[in-house]
Amino acid sequence: MKITNIQKVTKISFGLQALVLFFFLTLVPTYFSQGEGLFKAKCATCHAVFSNGTGPKLYEARKRWESVDEGELIYEWVRNNAALRASGKSNRANEIFQEYKGSVMTVFADLTDEQITSVFDWIDSQDPNAQAAGGGNQASAGGGDVMDEEQGLPWMWIIMGIMFSIIIMAVGGVRRQLKIATKESTEDAEGLTYVEEFKTWAWKYRLYVGLATLVIVLSLIVGFFQTLYQINLQESYQPSQPIAFPHDVHAGVNGIDCKYCHNSVTKSKSAGLPTVNVCMNCHKKINGEGKEFQGEINKIYAAAGWDPTKGPAGEYTGETNPIVWNKVHNLPDHVYFNHSQHVEVGGLDCKQCHGDMAKLKETAKVQPHQELNKIEENIESKIQFDRATLTMGWCIQCHDQSGISIGDGKNQYYTEIHDRLKKNDYDLLNSYNEDGRVSVKELGGWECSKCHY
Amino acid sequence: MADTKKYWKGIDELNDTKAFQDSKDVEFPEQNNSLENFLADDSLNESSTGRRDFLKFLGFSVAAATVAACEAPVIKAVPYVMKPENVVPGMATWYASTYYDGSAFASILVKTREARPIFIKGNKDFGITSGSVTPPIIASVLGLYDSERLQEPMKSGKSSKWSTVDSEISNALKTSKRVVLVSNTVISPSVLSSIEILKSSASGSFDHIQYDPISYSGIRNAHALNYGKAMIPSYDFSKAKTIVSVNADFLSTWLMPTQFATQYGETRNPDSEWMSKHFQFEAVMSVTGSNADYRGMTKPSEEESVLRYILDKLIGKPASISKGLKANADAAVTSLKISGEESLVVCGTNNTGLQQLVNEINNAVGAYGTTIDLYNELNLFQSEEGKMLDLVDSMIKGSVPDVVLFYNSNPVYSLPNGKAFAKALKTVKTSVSLNSHGDETAVACTFMCPDHHALEAWSDFQPTTKHYALAQPMITQIHNTASALESFVVWAGVAERVGKTSTLAYEKIKETFSDINGGNFDLAVHNSCVDLVSSTIEETFSFSSASISKTPKFSKGVEFVAYQKTAIGAGNHANNPWLNELPDPISKVTWDNYITMNPVEMTKAGYATTYDQENGLSLATITANGIKLTLPVYPLPGQALGTVGVALGYGRGGHGEKIGKAAYQTKEYGGYITDKNGNPKSIGENIFPMIMSSANELTYANSAKVNKVDGEYIIAATQIHHTVMGRHSIVRETTKGIYDSNGKESYNPAHMLQTIDADGSHVEKPVSEFDLWDAHPVENIGHRWGMTIDLSSCIGCSNCLVACQSENNVPVVGKDEVRRGREMHWLRIDRYFASAEEAAVGTRKDKDTFSFSAAEIAALNPKVVHMPMMCQHCNHAPCETVCPVAATTHSNEGLNQMTYNRCIGTRYCANNCPYKVRRFNWFNYPAYKKFTEINPAQDDLGRMVLNPDVTVRTRGVMEKCSFCVQRIQSTKLEAKKEGVPVADGKFATACSDVCPTNAIVVGDWNDIESNVRKSSEEKRSYQALEEIGVKPNVWYKVKVRNEENDLLSKLQVDKKAHHEPSHKQH
Repeated sequence: MKITNIQKVTKISFGLQALVLFFFLTLVPTYFSQGEGLFKAKCATCHAVFSNGTGPKLYEARKRWESVDEGELIYEWVRNNAALRASGKSNRANEIFQEYKGSVMTVFADLTDEQITSVFDWIDSQDPNAQAAGGGNQASAGGGDVMDEEQGLPWMWIIMGIMFSIIIMAVGGVRRQLKIATKESTEDAEGLTYVEEFKTWAWKYRLYVGLATLVIVLSLIVGFFQTLYQINLQESYQPSQPIAFPHDVHAGVNGIDCKYCHNSVTKSKSAGLPTVNVCMNCHKKINGEGKEFQGEINKIYAAAGWDPTKGPAGEYTGETNPIVWNKVHNLPDHVYFNHSQHVEVGGLDCKQCHGDMAKLKETAKVQPHQELNKIEENIESKIQFDRATLTMGWCIQCHDQSGISIGDGKNQYYTEIHDRLKKNDYDLLNSYNEDGRVSVKELGGWECSKCHY
Repeated sequence: MADTKKYWKGIDELNDTKAFQDSKDVEFPEQNNSLENFLADDSLNESSTGRRDFLKFLGFSVAAATVAACEAPVIKAVPYVMKPENVVPGMATWYASTYYDGSAFASILVKTREARPIFIKGNKDFGITSGSVTPPIIASVLGLYDSERLQEPMKSGKSSKWSTVDSEISNALKTSKRVVLVSNTVISPSVLSSIEILKSSASGSFDHIQYDPISYSGIRNAHALNYGKAMIPSYDFSKAKTIVSVNADFLSTWLMPTQFATQYGETRNPDSEWMSKHFQFEAVMSVTGSNADYRGMTKPSEEESVLRYILDKLIGKPASISKGLKANADAAVTSLKISGEESLVVCGTNNTGLQQLVNEINNAVGAYGTTIDLYNELNLFQSEEGKMLDLVDSMIKGSVPDVVLFYNSNPVYSLPNGKAFAKALKTVKTSVSLNSHGDETAVACTFMCPDHHALEAWSDFQPTTKHYALAQPMITQIHNTASALESFVVWAGVAERVGKTSTLAYEKIKETFSDINGGNFDLAVHNSCVDLVSSTIEETFSFSSASISKTPKFSKGVEFVAYQKTAIGAGNHANNPWLNELPDPISKVTWDNYITMNPVEMTKAGYATTYDQENGLSLATITANGIKLTLPVYPLPGQALGTVGVALGYGRGGHGEKIGKAAYQTKEYGGYITDKNGNPKSIGENIFPMIMSSANELTYANSAKVNKVDGEYIIAATQIHHTVMGRHSIVRETTKGIYDSNGKESYNPAHMLQTIDADGSHVEKPVSEFDLWDAHPVENIGHRWGMTIDLSSCIGCSNCLVACQSENNVPVVGKDEVRRGREMHWLRIDRYFASAEEAAVGTRKDKDTFSFSAAEIAALNPKVVHMPMMCQHCNHAPCETVCPVAATTHSNEGLNQMTYNRCIGTRYCANNCPYKVRRFNWFNYPAYKKFTEINPAQDDLGRMVLNPDVTVRTRGVMEKCSFCVQRIQSTKLEAKKEGVPVADGKFATACSDVCPTNAIVVGDWNDIESNVRKSSEEKRSYQALEEIGVKPNVWYKVKVRNEENDLLSKLQVDKKAHHEPSHKQH
């Protein structure tokens, strides 16, 4: 983004250079990032930057309005398109509406002129040629897993190495002893069975044998428990899905907010799988360009009972067929987990637990905790996991590491809790604050009945 | 110590029998001969598995299970195609609706999850029942998922299609000369108008007979004689300073308990301006009788003399009455005279003559206009049993109508001569039943055309003149059923059948709604009701005396009373496992029907008065109306001498009918007990055939003969379990007089312990100042969830118990397990009988002072205290310290947490719990075959009722009341999301949610403005077993009875005088 900013800056006339540069360096970057945020939150569900979707492409949309001398009206259009159409001031408004008949644009009455400008500024700053290269970033994503597996191996090698060297030493010792024995006296060994021989030998080298046995037993125990800990782990679970849904295209390239499809995430314990009618909001228009996509999108049509060939722009047949997905993130029945608690109250980003879905080409997957440790938000909040994803250790590790700002007065619920602490047990509050924050754990986030009931 | 009375839960405890002594120390009674029983079980021999095979299977399944456990199953997730707007997966949606089953009426709120109804409670904001419900209403949600509900229309016992059935029925209607429709009381204006449509389409005569199994025609007839109109007026108990009830169980079953319980509760607060005085005259101890301040044991034949005595005394005529009732009757007269028009006299016996006497008394005291409203009639209970009995007689004689339709009516079961009626019914050419099950009447019909379940259908009701209520569907109909309203119109040939998408009922109700000028329909649906302003000029009623009609006559000997149990009622819900397992509020017996008899009489006649898990009750035959039935005899203190009682509503579906899986007796290892025809045996016996029917009036009593027969019958009662070992600091009680004029120390003293102060002298200090442990940091920090239970307001209705079962997925365990003391209810209601006989705490075991003969008399007519008991969430919980795996721990919100997935089932915690509130999962109830018939969780459909927010527990783990922690968590989350502190009243447990008298108050104790904090600091508040210092988060409030009790006052008031000097000597 910074590069594009600078490119834009070079276009500004020299006369205003000093002043404008000053403003740009301080204000414009925030403008642009605001524009990107707004675009993703409000526009991206229907509009793409470079291609027509449910609504027209937005790249250089301002230019197109200006070309018919209605450049100023675009702001009214964005805020309340129906009102603009009704006013009859704009021909373009009605043209667009005719072109995209059936899709009424949402009203965004609360957007200011500056905000709308910031959105268009950001859109127009996008490089049409960069689109093709967009996929390149993700090419290396698959490599991470292999690396991690390799990293996991060495200490096993070390243990095995020690074991082997002990065995080799022991065997070497045996050979030496045998040699000595055969040289010194052949009679002594006569009449002894192998077992007895072994016993004699073991007794003679009891220090080595003892150490070796200890090491073997210990590594067996460690190995046993390691195996137990691996049983039924959800980490890296990636079931097949009836539709090869690419999260990277939706959340990544098109920048659709996670909450648009998983829309009960702020309200309910369940984030909610997108219902087919949500898919159809966009896919009525977007029916795939390549054959491979078309096949997948046709599956949505089959589910929704949509026949794109009927009528001028497709029609519903009324025969619906629910999509049976394979659930990816499974918790045992005795665990209560509430998405809205974490997203709405805790302010977590989806990424922090689910990884960056915008980069996930394949179907959804339980991200290994190593991947989650790379997420920017987790690094910022100093959350580092060393337990496997979706295990209880993983949950409560985060409850220990993340803090709640109870004293900032933003949430009156926590203000009340803070006040009660302050008034009645200041020492306790201080002990909570010793590490500079009140953790979820300190407010009861490690108590059984917070999740098990 | 505060105690003054001796409290006991059963005759065993009172008499301190050997069996009681043995059993009381045993938390988990073992079956003495279980191994022998098991080995002797023939069904084991039927299995062909040898020992070696068994071991092979064992080895294989262990290996298989181990391997299978390594692989997580693939779980499917199916989102909606088109998501309904108001459904958010994972969030509950509540709908306002109305419940009416022919006898009970209530405005309700239904909780649905993903469009599945899972919980019902009362609607506190709208309607005439102010949020009050009864156990059958709460449990009715289970009926929706009853897999034995008829799933499609049937013809001659075979499944059929609606089109076939419809055309045949409407043809029959067109060509018939005489049609009869038998229904229970229909209070739906829309259904009534659709019946009118059907009537006008019929070619011949069309009679609509309303017939209820429990009739209140006596009240209607008496008002017809006294006021010129047959009606049931509205009663308002909240205005009655004196309540006299003769055999009316108005808190549980009589008329509108959903209205009366709340009204009554309002008058029972000793801290308000006045407290009502309640006199009860009855034979069988009822829920209402157990709450009375004065209770007279009255035979059915004496009811008339009680009413006449009161009436004559009031109007100044000389009168006499039997010696045993005189004291109570005189007290009632005195009280009635003082409270005058603020009095209410009711009578539960269905007899015109008795009801006329009641009207005379109410008129004499001036109750009409204050506690009785003649201008707001009750539309329920319009039973015309005279017409019904005539029809039955003529049918038995051979004159049968061409078509008979039954709508919500089961006369074959509930008529005194039901069997003969069933025979006659088979000769009817076309008989149609719209009942939901293939019940006694339905199987005798040619066609079964099942109606929707109430939660699946649109309905409307007009329960009183001034009130109109709506019921809306919560779920699309599960089966291929059709609304009765629609069926009537279709059979009339006016409409077509369209199936599940039909909007006919909805349109019809909307039409009715606009006819009655209800206003905004959507608003009315949202509130579930509207109040009607009647535009017609109201008639004026004035009292005119009429000669008293014939009163019931009893021959000498034993009189028997057919009463209704809180849970089973008249038998509508006989198939509901929650209700069958609900311990009767008085007898604490589950899953059974029995003869109740006073223990004093039983001892004389040689019946067993004690029983336990191995020893049953004596059997007896009861004969009336020429019918003889054998039932066990249960010792019920307070039963009028010379009377017995038997509950209605049992003995259903024992002839091969399918009325529901849980309606039958089950064997010890699963399966039904069958009769010689191979039909599953019903629970208890049907005693409708024994009731008195004279002059076309059904009276639920009769003369009877009771004879002891050989044999014993094991009964499953929760009464003798969970005894409190004579520590009588559990229940506290006082009288209004003592409460008003004395301080807390006389009726609610703190428990004192002796200690040595700094000067070295002995002093007494309250137990709260002693502590072995460090305090839990719950006080004043964060939340501290607490509860208070007012024993004065608690009427023992058992709503809390059923609501808890529904909310927390508490399994049903069946009779055999309850018998062993393994019931799983998280909340139990301890019913203590209290004798006024001298007995201080701990003296029961003292043979020198314990008077056996005096105790016997106490068992005659004891006082009753109901005490809901659940986990007390002790801050110094004894259970927590003994758990070896820390599966039960304390939260910083004062909760005693139970973590199922940690529990390894040592049961130490239950052993160490002083309140005996922990429950152990002896079996995998949702899977083990023993519970297949009774546990709804074993049924694909029944499972739908489970609350998805609460774990279904598996075998081998402990469980107990969690304070509805799922609700605590969601309340907190709501507050956090809104960014506001938790407001008082936002959090309610299931039990407090459904309490009709608001006896249970819950909330955040650390919120100093909260109701629970204030309530817990009142002078009546105490903690059960305070002396053991476990610091519970539950407070009880002393029960105050509005009575004169010299003995108690001597103990409580004078005790202090004795107490003080005695300690100066130390």
